[in-house]
Amino acid sequence: MNFFALLKDFLLQFLGLFKNLETLPVECMRLLREFLTKLGELCGITMPQWALDTVSALVLIVAILVTFLVLFALMSVFERKLLARAQNRYGPNRVGPFGLFQPVADGIKMLTKEDLVPRAADKVVHYLAPIVMVAPALMLPVFLPFGRGMVAVDLSVGILAFFALGAGTELAVFMAGWASNNKYSILGAMRAIAQMISYELPLVTSALVVALVAGTLSPTGIAEAQSGYFCGFLPKWFVCTPWGFAACVLFYIGALSESNRCPFDLPEGESEIIAGHLTEYSGFKYAIFFMAEYVGMFAVNGLLVTLFLGGYNAPFPFLEWVPTWCWFFIKLWAVALSMVWVRTTLPRFRIDQMMQFAWKFLLPMSFVTLLAAAAWYYAGQGPKAWMSPAAWSASALIVLLSYLLLGTFCFTRRHSATNRRYLFSE
Amino acid sequence: MHALFQKIAALPWDQLPQWLFLIPGLLMLLAAFAAVCLRNLIHSALCVVLSFICLGVLFMALGAEFVGFVQLLVYVGAVAMLILFAILLTPASEVQASNNPLSNFRLSSALHAAAGAAVSFLVLAGLLAAIAFSPRAANAELPAQPAAAPVALIGENLLTYTLLPLLGIAVLLTAALVGAALIAKEDSKS
Amino acid sequence: MMLQILLAISAALFALGLLAALTRRNAIMVLIGIELMLGAGNLNFISFWKFSAHPETITGVMFAIFSIAIAAAEAAVGLAIVIQVHRRLHSVDVNEANQLKG
Repeated sequence: MNFFALLKDFLLQFLGLFKNLETLPVECMRLLREFLTKLGELCGITMPQWALDTVSALVLIVAILVTFLVLFALMSVFERKLLARAQNRYGPNRVGPFGLFQPVADGIKMLTKEDLVPRAADKVVHYLAPIVMVAPALMLPVFLPFGRGMVAVDLSVGILAFFALGAGTELAVFMAGWASNNKYSILGAMRAIAQMISYELPLVTSALVVALVAGTLSPTGIAEAQSGYFCGFLPKWFVCTPWGFAACVLFYIGALSESNRCPFDLPEGESEIIAGHLTEYSGFKYAIFFMAEYVGMFAVNGLLVTLFLGGYNAPFPFLEWVPTWCWFFIKLWAVALSMVWVRTTLPRFRIDQMMQFAWKFLLPMSFVTLLAAAAWYYAGQGPKAWMSPAAWSASALIVLLSYLLLGTFCFTRRHSATNRRYLFSE
Repeated sequence: MHALFQKIAALPWDQLPQWLFLIPGLLMLLAAFAAVCLRNLIHSALCVVLSFICLGVLFMALGAEFVGFVQLLVYVGAVAMLILFAILLTPASEVQASNNPLSNFRLSSALHAAAGAAVSFLVLAGLLAAIAFSPRAANAELPAQPAAAPVALIGENLLTYTLLPLLGIAVLLTAALVGAALIAKEDSKS
Repeated sequence: MMLQILLAISAALFALGLLAALTRRNAIMVLIGIELMLGAGNLNFISFWKFSAHPETITGVMFAIFSIAIAAAEAAVGLAIVIQVHRRLHSVDVNEANQLKG
């Protein structure tokens, strides 16, 4: 058997895989390993396990990188087009059909721009900041289950790992702001870090709520816990429960803030502090910051889909013929485009309003959802809670009452208007 | 060509994974050493962050994933940020160290540094001697079952055997949070 | 052999932390040194746990988790004190905070 016969054999097998789209990605990886083993036999050596693992890991890395970079490119053009439509303009429509090749043009522009480094900057830290920013952001999607059995790194502590790697962003923002040696940069970096730390607490706590009910920290386990239907056809997604809905909204707000999206884009407010920590970056380094932000946004949205929107599960039983990984990406796009909608609709927060919102409303509310989820779990005796009226009413009551109390007494217009202090802006 | 392949494939590759912990371990020591030596405070804080990251990776390599990720989350996400904020809020002369080390050279500070170095060297020598001459450390074997700490077991332990320490930690963290906020608050008098 | 190397790494980290705490005069560097020493302690807990006869009783891991929590509390309070000292004395040099000296 020569090399070409082997290649032809496997190509035919590969084409045969397209009959079942659901298992296509998983089967592709299996086929690749088989092909490598056969290739090794052809050369007269037995492929060691570590070589197979390394090659399949590299292929997985490339696949995930390409997927998320394509998502980033598409998002950049769709976002501009949607923003333009909301403002009654056309948006980019010159490059390619409907302006779809705009990201390519942008990329070429960014690559050919001059890479400026200020003379007074700390050169090493200035150089390292975009790298520290992009490396954890590109690692985040690895923990997400894209479809049934499709997770690159199946960790039992996946949620924790996701947040632990996400902490690297703060460090990168600080490095960028400090190394630029520019007061607007350091102001922007201080704002960004204050914001990220404040909004990380409700974000992590609302993710913890789901871990509490699902009884696991593994994203695969959480997605699997949301499979199935109650009342025959309604999806068992956590967003359908009272505590899950509240936690989902909190997580969405936290995700908006963590990815520096409007209305939480104060750190890079162009009109106030000329793009904050990005002021002294140009050319490809600037593009890398942008890319890290968008990939990070998609990763956090993917976590939101996994935690609350049922992960890769179909919404209704009659839609189960669509492959699970299609569902994941459909939901991911829905969340991402809703963020564009929010961006076109809401104006930017003032910094004191933003901090008050985080500490006086989001954080207590996320603790309340923790309580409501515990009530749901114990009133409904664990997994049977979906059909238990006691669980529904107890958790709904807790969430609604505390929402009304917090909204009336703690976070009011009067509170946020007086005692105004502009931290980090003096 | 085939002979080379076979030679490489015949190496004891199955023992390699248990020695991979040396990479983060040595990188950690290097970063910590750089942190001690660098004069620029921000640079040494960033080096300390690198050494914390390596320590977390080292925990993961030793089979304690949960502790490793907690280390990353707490140290890189929180403690490092606190340190960097504190450095920026306390502008000392050391942040921008003068270019000429001889200009602010003082005999007492040199003596101080030499004494500190001598003490820490003595401690290191003592520890290394203790490790080298301890028969239990030399004869320690990996247990038959590879050590693993599944997160469910950790949770169970937290709420049974270590419930009292957990409550103590909760009180301690709350007290530390309130205390830190109170101490760092600006005095209205001054 | 492996345990000895791990313990040696931990001892070296401890000595580096001690060096930072003893030789640097900036209070923040002293705190950083203490954090490094705590990290060395955690590394010892984890490596002794890995080589213990009964790793399924995860005592070493629990110790490390609690010690990380305490280290975080210590850093928060310590840095708050440093900031307050800077506000009073306009310096974070540990040698200059000597007002209680008789």
